[in-house]
Amino acid sequence: MNKTFKGIAGPLLLVFLLVVARFVFPNKMTFIIELAIFSIYVMGNNILYGYLGMVSFGQPFYLGVGAYASAIYLAHIGTNPIIALGVALMMGVVIGLIFGPVFIRLRGDYFALINAALCAIGLFTVEKLLLPITRGDDGLWYRSRMAEIPFLDIRAPENFFYFAIFVLFIALVLYRFMDRSVMGVSFRAIKINERKMKFLGYNTFGIRWIGFILSCVLSSLAGSLYAINFGFVNPSLVEPGRAAEVLVATLIGGAGTVYGPFFGTLAFLGIKDLVSKFISRWELVVGILTLIVLFKFSKGIWGGLESWSENWTGGRRRKLSPALSTEKPSQANIK
Amino acid sequence: MTFDLLFSAVVFGFSVSGILFLVSIGISIGFGLMRIINMEQMVYYTFGAYVTYTIMSTTGSFALALVASILVAAGLGFLVETLLLRRVYGRELMFTMVVTFSVFLIGIGIIQYAWGLEPKPVSSPFHTLISIFGVKMPLYRILVIAIAIAVFIGIQLMLNKTIIGKAIRAGIDNPAQVQGLGINIYRIFTFTFVIASGLAGLGGALNAPLTMTGPYMGFDMLLFAFITVILGGLGSIKGTLVSALILGQVMSVGGTIWAPLSFVAPFVVMFCVILIKPNGLFGVEAKAFGFE
Repeated sequence: MNKTFKGIAGPLLLVFLLVVARFVFPNKMTFIIELAIFSIYVMGNNILYGYLGMVSFGQPFYLGVGAYASAIYLAHIGTNPIIALGVALMMGVVIGLIFGPVFIRLRGDYFALINAALCAIGLFTVEKLLLPITRGDDGLWYRSRMAEIPFLDIRAPENFFYFAIFVLFIALVLYRFMDRSVMGVSFRAIKINERKMKFLGYNTFGIRWIGFILSCVLSSLAGSLYAINFGFVNPSLVEPGRAAEVLVATLIGGAGTVYGPFFGTLAFLGIKDLVSKFISRWELVVGILTLIVLFKFSKGIWGGLESWSENWTGGRRRKLSPALSTEKPSQANIK
Repeated sequence: MTFDLLFSAVVFGFSVSGILFLVSIGISIGFGLMRIINMEQMVYYTFGAYVTYTIMSTTGSFALALVASILVAAGLGFLVETLLLRRVYGRELMFTMVVTFSVFLIGIGIIQYAWGLEPKPVSSPFHTLISIFGVKMPLYRILVIAIAIAVFIGIQLMLNKTIIGKAIRAGIDNPAQVQGLGINIYRIFTFTFVIASGLAGLGGALNAPLTMTGPYMGFDMLLFAFITVILGGLGSIKGTLVSALILGQVMSVGGTIWAPLSFVAPFVVMFCVILIKPNGLFGVEAKAFGFE
């Protein structure tokens, strides 16, 4: 079994299970599409929270950047959804390049809140400032303008399903590659002790910046997929209050793991789906769930499974040194 | 813009500043003393507003409503501090932030069960208009300003004149040292927390007639309270006061010029200040916990 195959085996299995699930439960297809898209969004937040240890209360802004970049392209300029996706990715990189150097030099709490402020400014921009372009609260509709692309007509939901799954597969393979690379290890090392990393001669600013840009790109990819899937966007996507959803999903799944975001999203959306059948609002459940996860299962679903399987197989699996694989950073990190 | 309009905008701005000061003082002291970021202060704010609604609609007495909302908020603060936050002290800031945020979500859920989803209007306790420099002003706004000033003077007196206030100030400087002197720092934490949540409840009660009382009123206020605290610098009471004064004027005068500015201008101000001074106007450096 060669190395490349090992790299894609996990994502392939996951995607295969999703396709099976789509045919076993045909009426759950929209749920699976949302699961795939939201997983990518959570993966973006996981780079910030799980790997680098930075909490952001403004992730909806980066989602909105991707969604509105695609939407504005599709509604006013072009018709090809694939190019719209490319435009959104470009915008993600640009936003990461612009805001990165300014934001990442801030201390953790200020970073979280300046993102919230950015999110509020973003909401204001799409709601009021760019009213002629984004049509404000009415939302921007462009479904009829989307053109057919070769091979797969992604305007139809059942075809879009395969497209979303394919994007998720690519994202997971690259994500796993990042996790095992030197970069992934440096991200974790920064979370545990940035001062020591600096002392060892690493450019921690640059590493953080790369992480921030990656997170922006993943979030805008998810936003763009939302925009193409729904065929319209409205400002509710950028509401600062929705920043909690992605944080909770990251925590439940297991911060700082490859498949954690996927399982976290599955649990979060599943609970949301179930709970909303019984009570109309789910804040209470989400809050209690987060507290339980934080205090009792600090590794999340995937982290818990990983350590369980390590115990079971006697630690034969490839793992990082104990200091790197623990979730809780040491006290020395707090300056 | 005429003088009348500007003058009334400035007075409105001061009343907004008063409310911002009351709700954000808890976040500021909580960071300075306990080194946690307590986002759940807004639960007490929302509860204060709802208790005011209930008492105003049953008995009609505003003074009773104020007292009741302070007591309810302080009681809730006591419960949350002793049952939950005790376990959080000494953990990293991000952890405290996510824990208190989930407490905030639970609080919103409880409010939705207790009072329902639809917003409740609270009528203003007095409709009297008084005339200052020939400009008619609602007496209620003046009352809000007066209460906020009284609270600020009270806090200053407590911190500077009483022994427990001195212990709190010493704790902001160095908690380990205070504990070394034989003062039970955890009792001081509880005391401070109860006072802070009571003040947040008072802020909610005072703001209830000025806004719509709804389950999500805490979310908007959370953002504004955090802007206040961040702009002034976490942990500084003077900074909180100064930034509350600035933001109140920015929101009120800005909103008079162009209505959407009242929402977005505070964010822009904070954004610019943080880029120039990453620690806020009067920020204190977050030091190591040194205890636990």
